[in-house]
Amino acid sequence: MSTNGNVAERAAELRDEQVHARRVRVDRMFAVLLGIQYLAGILGAIAVSPYAWAGKEKVLHMHVWIAILGGGGIVILPILLAIFRPGTTLTRHVIAASQMLSSALLIHLTGGRIETHFHVFGSLAFLAFYLDWKVLLTATTVVAADHFARGIFFPESVYGIANPEWWRFLEHAGWVVFEDIFLVWACVLSLREIDAAAVRQAEVEHLQEQEQLKSAALEMALAELKATA
Amino acid sequence: MTRRLRTAVLIAAALLWVSTVAAAFQAIRRFETTPGRAAIAPRTWPVSSRIQRAADWTLVMLIHPHCSCSRASVQELQAVIESAPTVHPTVLLYRPTSFPRGWEKTDVFEAASRLRRTRVIIDDDGREARLFGGFTSGQTFLYDRNGTLRFAGGITSLRGHAGINRGRTDLVDIMQARAARGTHPVFGCAIASVTEEAK
Repeated sequence: MSTNGNVAERAAELRDEQVHARRVRVDRMFAVLLGIQYLAGILGAIAVSPYAWAGKEKVLHMHVWIAILGGGGIVILPILLAIFRPGTTLTRHVIAASQMLSSALLIHLTGGRIETHFHVFGSLAFLAFYLDWKVLLTATTVVAADHFARGIFFPESVYGIANPEWWRFLEHAGWVVFEDIFLVWACVLSLREIDAAAVRQAEVEHLQEQEQLKSAALEMALAELKATA
Repeated sequence: MTRRLRTAVLIAAALLWVSTVAAAFQAIRRFETTPGRAAIAPRTWPVSSRIQRAADWTLVMLIHPHCSCSRASVQELQAVIESAPTVHPTVLLYRPTSFPRGWEKTDVFEAASRLRRTRVIIDDDGREARLFGGFTSGQTFLYDRNGTLRFAGGITSLRGHAGINRGRTDLVDIMQARAARGTHPVFGCAIASVTEEAK
């Protein structure tokens, strides 16, 4: 193989190592984040609406059950994948979908507060840490599907009006896409920078190897000279 | 953990994940869209009520102080007050007499007390609520100057969801002479339990 081929191969290896290590770290970060969000959802539900009442009688509020069981069901798979299959494509796509479903759940648990919708945008920024624009596509699809489904079954909960236009979910998804455009661009730029750094490191390693070979050859030549002198 | 066991755990978690998402969506949908029991409101003002009728519109809202969904009803009532400057609402706040005093002092009570031009009356054991034939927290009644019922229903779109909705707009439209009467599903906790109703 040519020298350039060796450098390119080593650069690709370094790049893959670096990107994989980064994605494993992000998987672990999301495993912790999903766990924290799960607990926050339960605490939020208990704080906002602990009981449903019928006169003097009270029972645990449906929101608390949904936070415990629904929230638990949403986070269990991504957390297990982050532990057992870190750094894989499947893991980060499941994490992206679960993070968006957690957003939808938190929005419900806080009674549809507009402020909780910011969780979606914050989550997209965190997902961009993967430097994989396809993950953002998965997250955006889940958000759009959630809005589309809720728009059909109970539109007031997502749009605040009873009869929204059929395309209203596209408008909401459009704002997510607006953020996506910049995040995708940032992902591509960051990957290019990692590529460039990997090429530089591979070249340095190659030069060091060449220098070592030259030094070894020189030392050998000197040793031969000394022997013949 | 062996590779086979690990795969089995992940497949089980995947199945749990998909079924939980579907079940949670369905549970939320059912919970939020199922209205409470509608009022059987008297067509004319109940004369035995201790609420004083206003000169033009009399608006009465029933509230269970511990019903978290009723925060949205109080929020919507605020919007009605802003849209109809002449209305002086009365909020009937349920309190069981067998419970210690102060039980009713919740954030819903505080929010209702902060409403402008609004009188909050503690409704012991829901006696006044029964006069109006109301069963659900958030139930709202509007009577005109002749004591005729013009609106009975809720003023939120779903359980615990504030925001513009048909109930609120109908109520305002009636007071602004753009509609004659109206009704809307009510979302909230029951004012009285089944055992209390049976008494």
